[in-house]
Amino acid sequence: MKLTDEMKEALSIIGGGGAVVHLTTCSADGKPNTVAERFVGVFKDEYIVIADMFAQKTRVNLFENPIGVITIAHPVKGRTWAFRGPTTILQEGLPPDYEFHGAVAKEVLDEWGNWAEKEPPSEVPPDIKPPRLVQRGVIIMKVEECYSYKPEEAGKKIL
Amino acid sequence: MAKLTPRMRNWLEGLGAHIGTATKKGFPTVIVVDSAKVVGDNIVKFQLTDAQVEQIKQNIEENPRVALGPGGLGSIRAAYQFKGSARLEGNTLIVEVNEIYCTKPGPEAALRLDVLPYESIIKFENTRWRDTGPPK
Repeated sequence: MKLTDEMKEALSIIGGGGAVVHLTTCSADGKPNTVAERFVGVFKDEYIVIADMFAQKTRVNLFENPIGVITIAHPVKGRTWAFRGPTTILQEGLPPDYEFHGAVAKEVLDEWGNWAEKEPPSEVPPDIKPPRLVQRGVIIMKVEECYSYKPEEAGKKIL
Repeated sequence: MAKLTPRMRNWLEGLGAHIGTATKKGFPTVIVVDSAKVVGDNIVKFQLTDAQVEQIKQNIEENPRVALGPGGLGSIRAAYQFKGSARLEGNTLIVEVNEIYCTKPGPEAALRLDVLPYESIIKFENTRWRDTGPPK
């Protein structure tokens, strides 16, 4: 499922114009978990990547139930999209040719393995500034569907 | 027993939440509502449109567990996650919050708040955030 240019733009810029997203995952027996994420990017037009720094319940969920939903949280600016698809965490230590639904681990980790260095959170206000950001891996979702979460048309398929 | 603090109420009522639901087998669906009403200590009510009810009705019936992440600016400033069980009454989604987690990046990520004494939670908030709710 190829993302549109508008989607790629919304999901690629850190801070200012880009988006904070909510990543929702579930345990194997159906208990949902929702967390906000700021380090978001797009890989090869079809995958959304998120830095894994402090994920705990999300990690456990993805390892037992590899599916997630990503919703744009702020700023929305009319971009009421929910992306859903198979999701996992790619980490250092995987064989370099490890593939997840067509995405090769090495390529993803080379690009985003150290995200805080790539795009330091300079615009975060001082009272919520995070501590030293240590990254363990990259959460990657292959987008298989996109629906609108706009209340009047919730569930309407976009992609 | 979970008890929401005034700061949590203000952010939920002001900007709503992203509500994660799932089938019994764990297939997730998320809806977004941009305001809420907090009643009592831990009941959060959302008004849904017909389209949203249609999207989650089956999920809530077979698996009432939901997770709430504050919407809009709250996704950054109100770094909480609320978990609980939900039921639909017509177009109103009523969530009874049983667990509250802190999702602030750093050592407090995944810290469970509802098991702390209420005064400790208030103190926890005061030492970390300056605001008590969304900007007017």
